[in-house]
Parts: sequence; structure tokens; C-alpha cells
Amino acid sequence: MNEQKTLLSRIATCDFILTETALFLDTHPECEEALAFYEKHLGMKKKAEEEYTSKYGMLKHCDYKGQNTWQWTEGPWPWEYEEV
Amino acid sequence: MWIYEKKLQRPVKIAKADPAMAKIIITQLGGPDGELGASMRYLNQRYAMPNDKVKAALTDIGTEELGHMEMVASIVHQLTRNLSMSEIEKSGFAPYFVDHTVGIYPVDANGVPWNAATIQSTGDPIADLHEDMGAEQKARKTYDNILNLCDDPDVRDVIKFLREREIVHYQRFGESLEHILDGLNSKNYYAFNPAFIPKK
Repeated sequence: MNEQKTLLSRIATCDFILTETALFLDTHPECEEALAFYEKHLGMKKKAEEEYTSKYGMLKHCDYKGQNTWQWTEGPWPWEYEEV
Repeated sequence: MWIYEKKLQRPVKIAKADPAMAKIIITQLGGPDGELGASMRYLNQRYAMPNDKVKAALTDIGTEELGHMEMVASIVHQLTRNLSMSEIEKSGFAPYFVDHTVGIYPVDANGVPWNAATIQSTGDPIADLHEDMGAEQKARKTYDNILNLCDDPDVRDVIKFLREREIVHYQRFGESLEHILDGLNSKNYYAFNPAFIPKK
């Protein structure tokens, strides 16, 4: 796997952990253990996302960093099959 | 992948309840030219598009329509706050009330539930983008009709904003169609489906 895919996969892993933990927190909003777990993975996600977006471009509109084209439109899009 | 943001695209703050108006405006949630259909139409059509700019436009407009669904639902919710039973009966809101109380359910102004048959995803980018331009005009028409029926400035403010967005989306779909047409093979004089060529 190249670095871009590794980073994207790390972001997706963190995102899924955050989603799962947020769902738990929705019904257990005072659970200290879950809050700490969320915070730890939020830090990991932000770090991976910062690295990804500075090297490979946008994951969402507001990741724009002053490039001279709107790189948002560049493929491949997530649903497209790519030869490995 | 989508992430929810805990805010409306434009705030909705309606001081005065009006269940009769709620019954009319709910068509922009669950009616044939409403926001639920709009988002489902664009987000499902994306996969057949051969042009990256058009994929971006459908993704972004389809996402914005999800936010508009929430705004229309917020209008209906606020128009049906603190109702008395006599207000419900006199306003014509009773048929909705009996099934849904004051919950939000996607129906048109006659109470007919949202139906996927009101949208298309043809797999043909040219057919789809023509539908999308028509859909934006049809939604703009519904907002115009609502403005003709509604005097409350709190409601009109939000409806006027949503109406303007239909006009902007219509422009972007027009440009998207041009991008697709510009990319056609020069032998495709009659603009047949550029996204599906049967395997020989």
C-alpha cells in the first residue's frame, strides 16, 4: 500500500472508532472512560488528517489550503474502482 | 461519507404557529418537487457521471439538499408548536394529525407519502442533467406558489432563501450539462448516452 492509501486508511479507522464511540456517548454522555477514548482517537484522526490534506489534498471543502485550482473536482472519487 | 453539522444552513425562527401553512409547506419535504427527492435524485445519479466536475457538482448540491430537507422540516415543526385541538380541527390539519400527530413525515400537500417514482436516475448523464434542470425549476415554482400563499415574514424569509438556491443550482446544472456535451465523442452527433457503451 502506498503512503496515501495508508494515511487514508488510518483516517477511516479513526473515523469509525469515533463514530462508534459517539453512538455510545449519545446514550452514556457522562461515561469518563468513553470520553477519554474519544479524545485520544480524535487526536490521532486530526494528526492523520492534517498530514493527508497537506500532502494529497482535500477530504472536504474546508481542507482547501490556497492552491491555485479547486482540486476538489479531481478524481478518483470514492466509489471508483482502482487497479492496485 | 457524511458528517452531520449541528446547525441549519440558514436559521429558522417562526414566532406564530400556522398549521394550515405547515400542511402546504410540507410538500417541499415529501412532495414531487421537494428537497428529499432532490437529494436522493442527485446523490444517486453521481455514479453514472463520466466527468469529475459533474460528480463534484452532484455531490455538493445533493448534500446541500439534505440541509434544505432539515430547514423545511424545521419550518413545519415550528409552525405546528403549541396547537389547541380546535386549531387543529379548524385549520384542516386533522388528517395529518391523526396519523402523525405533530411529528415530521415526508408527504406532499395532499398527504401522499414521498415516492421514489417522483425521481429518476437513468444512467444517462444527458438525460439526468436535463431532469435536474427541470427539477430545480419545478422546486422554484413550488416556492413561488408558497410565497403567493404566505404572509408571515418569518416564513417568507426562509422560503425566499430556499427559492434562490434553486436558481443557483439550475445554473450549475446547466454548466454541468455543457461539460458533458463538450466531452462527447465527435461521432456522437445526437448526444446518445456517453456513459454506457455495451461491451463487444
